[in-house]
Amino acid sequence: MLTDWRAAAARFEAEVAKAVVGQERAIRLVTIAVFARGHVMLEGDVGVGKTTLLRAVARALGGAYERVEGTVDMMPTDLIYNTYLGPDGRPRVDPGPVLARAEDLSVFFFNEINRARPQVHALLLRLMAERSVQAFGRTYTFPNLQVFADRNRVEREETFELPAAARDRFLMEIGLEAPRDAAVRRSLVFDPRFHDTDALVGAVAGGVLDHARIGGIAAAIQHAVRAEPSIEAYVVALWDALVRPAEAGIRLPGLDTATLVQGGASPRGVAFLVRAARVRAWLEGRDWLVPEDVRAVFTEVMAHRVFLEPVHELQRGAIVPALCRAAFETVPAP
Amino acid sequence: MGARVPALPLAGLLAGLLAGVLAAPLALTPGTAAAQVRSVEVRSPRPFGIFLGDLVEAQVEILADPDFRLQRATLPQPGPVTYWLDLRAVAVDEAPVAGARRVRLRLTYQSFYAALDARTLEVPGFPLTLASEAATGLTTAAVQVPVWSLGVSPLREVQPQRREDPAEYLRPDGSGGRIDPGPDVAAAAGLGALAGLAALALAHDRAWGPFRQRPGRPFAAALRALRRQTGAEPDQAYRAALLALHRGLDETDGRRVLADDLGAFLARHGAFRGQAAGLARFFEASRLAFFGGRLPAARAAWPLSEAEALLARLAAAERSA
Repeated sequence: MLTDWRAAAARFEAEVAKAVVGQERAIRLVTIAVFARGHVMLEGDVGVGKTTLLRAVARALGGAYERVEGTVDMMPTDLIYNTYLGPDGRPRVDPGPVLARAEDLSVFFFNEINRARPQVHALLLRLMAERSVQAFGRTYTFPNLQVFADRNRVEREETFELPAAARDRFLMEIGLEAPRDAAVRRSLVFDPRFHDTDALVGAVAGGVLDHARIGGIAAAIQHAVRAEPSIEAYVVALWDALVRPAEAGIRLPGLDTATLVQGGASPRGVAFLVRAARVRAWLEGRDWLVPEDVRAVFTEVMAHRVFLEPVHELQRGAIVPALCRAAFETVPAP
Repeated sequence: MGARVPALPLAGLLAGLLAGVLAAPLALTPGTAAAQVRSVEVRSPRPFGIFLGDLVEAQVEILADPDFRLQRATLPQPGPVTYWLDLRAVAVDEAPVAGARRVRLRLTYQSFYAALDARTLEVPGFPLTLASEAATGLTTAAVQVPVWSLGVSPLREVQPQRREDPAEYLRPDGSGGRIDPGPDVAAAAGLGALAGLAALALAHDRAWGPFRQRPGRPFAAALRALRRQTGAEPDQAYRAALLALHRGLDETDGRRVLADDLGAFLARHGAFRGQAAGLARFFEASRLAFFGGRLPAARAAWPLSEAEALLARLAAAERSA
């Protein structure tokens, strides 16, 4: 069964790649997130295809898809309820974007999440952690829900940084950049196929995966992929190196690694790391973990969970990936 | 009744204001300057016989009422005064004297007048301001330092006697003492030796020239370690051999080399390209042994003897690189 699903995952990746070219790594990571049942934050410049990627993923995944745009004046109730005046002039309260498709909701896409206020982040936190919300006097559950959010890293004005707890609940933070390959760049700009996003996403075959069954498959993958004691020791050593880089012998130019990291890298984060690595091993056709599986997902899963000393926080975009790279260059495997 | 009581202080206030407005300009006008400044005198120790380039000292002494002070901002600035005269320095000395205040300026002029005959020139005067600050206001008094005269003289006669050799018009050069180069040579030698020592220390710090370390031979060290351990349990020995190979690769590359990095490693270290197939089999076996949990299968597919042979070949390649 897992073999069939691996073929389906390959089809899923191929379908998404039809709409989004030159982003093989991002597509692979999103696929891993789908099979690890984790929420994903996309970060990148404007117009690099974040929304297109997520729409293609939602279409290939099947199930209902909802999308909201974060704004400064958005309140949690705006997500749950839709309030308006009916044609008879009387106020109406209908289910809002989150509840509209109720249990069938498989992809909830929160655009520009850092524009929304902390109250909205809190609601999202519950939605992500418990996959349920309270509304109309009862609890709505979303068993297949996967939250995708995106964040524009250029603008900083009128934005609210996500609290550490909310960031920790995202499985991955995937940085999306415009492709570097010249041929891909040319075709992105000149090929009219890429100008009409609706047609592009429409060309993706819908429902390649049965979204209702992914939960069961994800659990099966976690049980099927073995981790030997040496890989367990390796992951724990990496974790130590990330939290206490100086003790692991990591030196970074121009930085004092003894005082660099303030905290973070929670046990939940490392558990997420192993979950994602197992999915990667399964996608590669193995039923045991190797260090490369951990390395393939490490930066995306762990980087946003590391909190630096405030003086270095502004440069975290450069420091944390360098720290992750240094950890892999320092920790011996096996 | 209640309305009339505040009227009285208001009237007093108005009268006071009026008096203040009338009094204020009186306090500021220097109308009584003559009475406040008692005397101004310019003295010079030798106001004659001045040659081109000579410094001329002059002293200005002002006697004023005791509460007056010189306003320093009104002092003349050192610099050109006329086309032939520069003011070089100004020093001020204020002191109270019996019932008055004495302000003494020491002016140093320099004359650049190339005189052809002895003549008297006028040194321009300048204004100064004295001020007395009191609670009621500021009283200023203007002082005009008068023009005084200076007698300049030529250095030589206008038409000197004819000489055969024009050089005879010049006075002979003064003679300089002989300089002993000994101490300087010794200091140069000492500093040179110090610089050499510093360069040596820098070269040691930077690993330049003779201090450059020869690249280590990690594979040779790994091979030695592998041969040293004999009589260990076979699985243990196999595990140790794989680890020795891993450490050799890590040390050669300066980072941890995983199985997927083999291509990049060979690209960086061309000397080992001939061992690509052996290294690929090693990584496969290592993966199986450490992460696949199938050490016996790995040993069967790639036995210890092959590991040792590969390590020997790698050490040989390393030596010739």
